[in-house]
Amino acid sequence: MMRELLVWLQTRLGKGDGEFDQSWSEALLGSLNFWGILEGTHVLALMLFAGTIMIVDLRLLGVTFRRTAISVLGAKVLPLTVFGFAIMVLTGLALFYARPVDYYHNIWFRAKLVFIALALLNIIIFHVRVQRNQAAWDLAPKPPPAARVSAIVSLAAWIAVIAMGRFMAYDWFECGKPMPAYLNALQSCAASEAGALNLASVRP
Amino acid sequence: MTPAEFLPELRPWVENLVNVWPAYVIKPQFASWQVLHILSLVVLGGCTILLNLRLIGVGLTEEPASEIDRNLRLWLNLGVVSVLITGVLIGMANAERLYDSAAFTVKMFGLVAALIFTYGVTNRVARSDGAVSLSSKIAALAALALWSYALWVFTTAQLINPGMFHLITAAGLVVLFAVRGRARWIYLAGLGLLIAVQWVWTHLFLAYDDIARLDPVNKGFAWAFAAWIIAIGLHQLFTAGRDQNAGPLTKLVGYTGILMWVSVAAAGRWIAFA
Repeated sequence: MMRELLVWLQTRLGKGDGEFDQSWSEALLGSLNFWGILEGTHVLALMLFAGTIMIVDLRLLGVTFRRTAISVLGAKVLPLTVFGFAIMVLTGLALFYARPVDYYHNIWFRAKLVFIALALLNIIIFHVRVQRNQAAWDLAPKPPPAARVSAIVSLAAWIAVIAMGRFMAYDWFECGKPMPAYLNALQSCAASEAGALNLASVRP
Repeated sequence: MTPAEFLPELRPWVENLVNVWPAYVIKPQFASWQVLHILSLVVLGGCTILLNLRLIGVGLTEEPASEIDRNLRLWLNLGVVSVLITGVLIGMANAERLYDSAAFTVKMFGLVAALIFTYGVTNRVARSDGAVSLSSKIAALAALALWSYALWVFTTAQLINPGMFHLITAAGLVVLFAVRGRARWIYLAGLGLLIAVQWVWTHLFLAYDDIARLDPVNKGFAWAFAAWIIAIGLHQLFTAGRDQNAGPLTKLVGYTGILMWVSVAAAGRWIAFA
């Protein structure tokens, strides 16, 4: 169901009647410069998004800005983070739209979504649970363990998201290549155009 | 201008770099080293953005610039050192490609400019809470000369000049963060108008595959965007926030510090595209 929708997005939506007409998705992927500008913006915006969230996390760990109130740092730095996140999401959606079916069968893309979900869940838990008594440790050079755990989870999750994003560009585990059965299953290769080739079946 | 055009006699040496330790060791894990390079860029970028925005009078204004510098110094240094180490490693493993890349020329000239500017100007200005010393001015001139050359190559080299989009966009965002009140709305209205006129011109009056006519129009708009952003940036430089202990020169240091690193990162990304 999901895959059919993505196939339609990639190959049908915006396609004219002519034999060689491209869908919008194909036109975006094949564009002279637009795809590169989107991808470049996606990577460069990491400086704004991940760079600023990292500093807030380091403050929560108590390793920098120890004399600055956490509320002040959050009020001044997090708007920049949110702005950066908006750029990441917009360019990320557009890049996904250029190759939706390929990414659907990409193990790194799937892992990236899992880590993004983990990072967002961590933010929710931080706001709902950890921050409840923030007034008590707003000025503490070293915040309580719960806040520090939040910061470590945040740093680890975003680092993983960035790593998965870079690995997505490589075809090590492309469907159709021989690989262990669990990898074929994890990226639904059986449903893909190239199919699933289990490593065990090609070994002599 | 590719490095090969500067130093043609180096080709055999460059071609052999991949066989030299540690390049052949890291080559199989090239992607993981790229990740480390990007993570270093993130650390460096976050520190650069916060410190320089403070010099412009934006962001952590509750603290003096010297306090921001004191807190970020370690992390900035860590980002710079690890971006250089990982850069040399992946560069050695990918040397032939870089040798024939004009974007790499931009990146290297921009990198030296950014290093001189960060350590000779930005950090010193921040440490003295906005005062720009004579030695900082001399360092700034040296960095600006190198950066001007980098930007000239970036704008004129075939295939990589679309990468200038990132620099113009970053400048546009910094100015958006910096201008306040009515000026911000006038600025946004101007940007919106330019975007609308460019879209109508290039989509309704020109065919999408008529590159010969689209190219000069798009380049003309790139200059128009840059001019509008610079004009409003200059307005912010001379009018806003005089009470924040940040004169026009201090703010100019802030703008330049961010944009130099953005140009290095943008050129770095366009190595892969052209």
